[in-house]
Amino acid sequence: MNDPAPTRLLLVDDEASLREPLADYLSRQGFIVRQAEDAAKARSVLLDETPDLVLLDIMMPGEDGLSLCRHLTETRHLPVILLTARGEPMDRIVGLEIGADDYVPKPFEPRELVARIRSVLRRATRPTATSEEDSPYEFDGWRLEPLKRKLSDPSGNVVPISSAEFRLLVAFLNHPRQVLDRDRLLDMVQGREAHLFDRAVDNQVSRLRRKMEDDSRDPKLIQTVWGGGYRLAADVRRLPPEHE
Amino acid sequence: MNRVVNRIVPKSLLGQMLLAVGVALFVAQGISAVLLYRAAEQRREMSYASGLAFQLIAQPSFDFRSKSSNRGHGAGPVWRRIRVEVTSAYPLRPGEKRDSRREQSLRSILSEQGVLPAQLLVTTRKLSDDSYVLGRLRDRPDLRARPEWSNGEFVVAAMLRPGEKAWTVARLPLASSQPRQLGELIMQTLLLYVVLVGLLALLLRRITRPLAALTRRLETFAETRETDGQIEPSGPEDTRRLIAAHNAMEASIAALLDEKDVMLGAIGHDLKTPLAALRVRIESVPDDAERAKMAATIEDIARTLDDILSLARVGRPTDPLEPTDLAALVASVVEEFEDMGEPVILGTGERVALPLRATWLRRALRNLIGNALRYGERATVSLRREGGDAVVRIDDDGPGIAPGDLARMMEPFARGEGSRNRSTGGAGLGLAIARAIAVQHGGRLVLANRPEGGLRVELRLPTKR
Repeated sequence: MNDPAPTRLLLVDDEASLREPLADYLSRQGFIVRQAEDAAKARSVLLDETPDLVLLDIMMPGEDGLSLCRHLTETRHLPVILLTARGEPMDRIVGLEIGADDYVPKPFEPRELVARIRSVLRRATRPTATSEEDSPYEFDGWRLEPLKRKLSDPSGNVVPISSAEFRLLVAFLNHPRQVLDRDRLLDMVQGREAHLFDRAVDNQVSRLRRKMEDDSRDPKLIQTVWGGGYRLAADVRRLPPEHE
Repeated sequence: MNRVVNRIVPKSLLGQMLLAVGVALFVAQGISAVLLYRAAEQRREMSYASGLAFQLIAQPSFDFRSKSSNRGHGAGPVWRRIRVEVTSAYPLRPGEKRDSRREQSLRSILSEQGVLPAQLLVTTRKLSDDSYVLGRLRDRPDLRARPEWSNGEFVVAAMLRPGEKAWTVARLPLASSQPRQLGELIMQTLLLYVVLVGLLALLLRRITRPLAALTRRLETFAETRETDGQIEPSGPEDTRRLIAAHNAMEASIAALLDEKDVMLGAIGHDLKTPLAALRVRIESVPDDAERAKMAATIEDIARTLDDILSLARVGRPTDPLEPTDLAALVASVVEEFEDMGEPVILGTGERVALPLRATWLRRALRNLIGNALRYGERATVSLRREGGDAVVRIDDDGPGIAPGDLARMMEPFARGEGSRNRSTGGAGLGLAIARAIAVQHGGRLVLANRPEGGLRVELRLPTKR
């Protein structure tokens, strides 16, 4: 990272057996770590200082992590990574819906946690407003909900896609009817987590076509443009963001 | 024979009760109809006998003229009867049979009146055969118009008093009203049947409707295991108590399941947090190889813990069914393995959309494909429609499973080779979880050895529920 000042983290977890070694580890990685054993302590720490990011356990005695998370993201606009021992898929969606930036199930690999902290901070410093990123797309009868990464076909069936395919589709949807060459697509989809996307663009496009086109050999939606590139042959409409 | 009866007899309580009541009512009405018919017959015979006796005794001086009517003016008949004939000729025509039963009843009435005839003859005769009646009717157009005379048959009674030479002959038309009586009886039976069956149907509906609702509720509960949407006790007291008892049982089952979920959640939390602490602490182990082994062990424990938690939760999923493109789901799981460089081949598949829980089904497919790769080197995955099922088929090139072990392999903690060796991976929950997920979707998991070698696993999901 090229930040001149070290990153300040607030670690909120009621389990001292995890909190203390984790704080040590993160300090060794160059972060400045403040600890809090419950939501009340966290709130009082936040009165004095504003961390760059909060690591938050969901299950705590007293006020739970989800409630504190809502407070942090709505009133303080702080990036939050949820730590949880539950790890049910629905918990993940709930966590992301109330505004957490990421969700890490316990036990986690400490190095992966650091990578995720950096990734969230990188995203947080970008100017794009999250609410706009979250608003659903509609095109040619299809619908994409970015928050849930949920793609639905014109008859309402969910079409499961991978995160690489999701990013590729978002790139197309943000540039409808434009010709996008491979380099440009690669730039747009690699931005955040490069390690997750190192396959050829062509390969991902053909996978996306397999899921979305009636006949993937005769694509109507994602067309190949002679001379190198692809184009989304549909108009795209953004809907107001959904709040539950 | 039995099969035919089974097909005809209704299956439902309502149908069976209505059928039983209908049959019983029909038999009872039939018996009562026969009895009624017989009584009416007897009454009629009595009236014939007394009518004939009256004419025979009163003859010939009695005037049958009715009091209130004027001849030729009124609409009603003036003469009810044909004048009694007095003749010296033998009253029976050749070939006519005497009706001894009627003679007997007529004789007993006459003797009650103090008349003891020397001879008494009774028979039935057709109008066309009786010249006396035809002659009388010729002069009497009003009588001719009356159906009982014009219809044809009548009873003829002839009496010879002791010491007299001439016969007194009286005639009475035979009523031809039997069919109408029978019709009335049938109508009456039908009316009774309609009223009774209607009432009974109303009553039975009060019983069977709550029962039907309870059945539907049981089916829903068996599937969702949620106490939402319990039915209110209704109907007769017995049904109410049944429903109330069922609701109580539902509540206690749901409470047990909730308890289990809470307990497992707590176990998960309590074990995973120290596991996470351990995972953080081993980062300070200087020996890289040693640390990697520790990390692998921790990951193994965490995975087993996840499997146990999933198996415990699979029966009560918190996420709703969503219509999903199964072909795309299968493709995306296969692609995950492709991205890791695993030899998985995706066969051509149809597009099949059905309501499912994508996160669960993804897990089932990962387990199955992972197994195929672990034990069978290579996995070929395809999706097809077979009858009412969507079938995801995973073929591998491994040694397969001994036929006797096929069923046992889907039990939790069962593993191949009879060993519990961890190096071949997993705690033996993968297939059990996959099967539970299939069941969660109303489907099933089928294991079979392929004739050309290798194992074939089929995840079959009904497309219509």
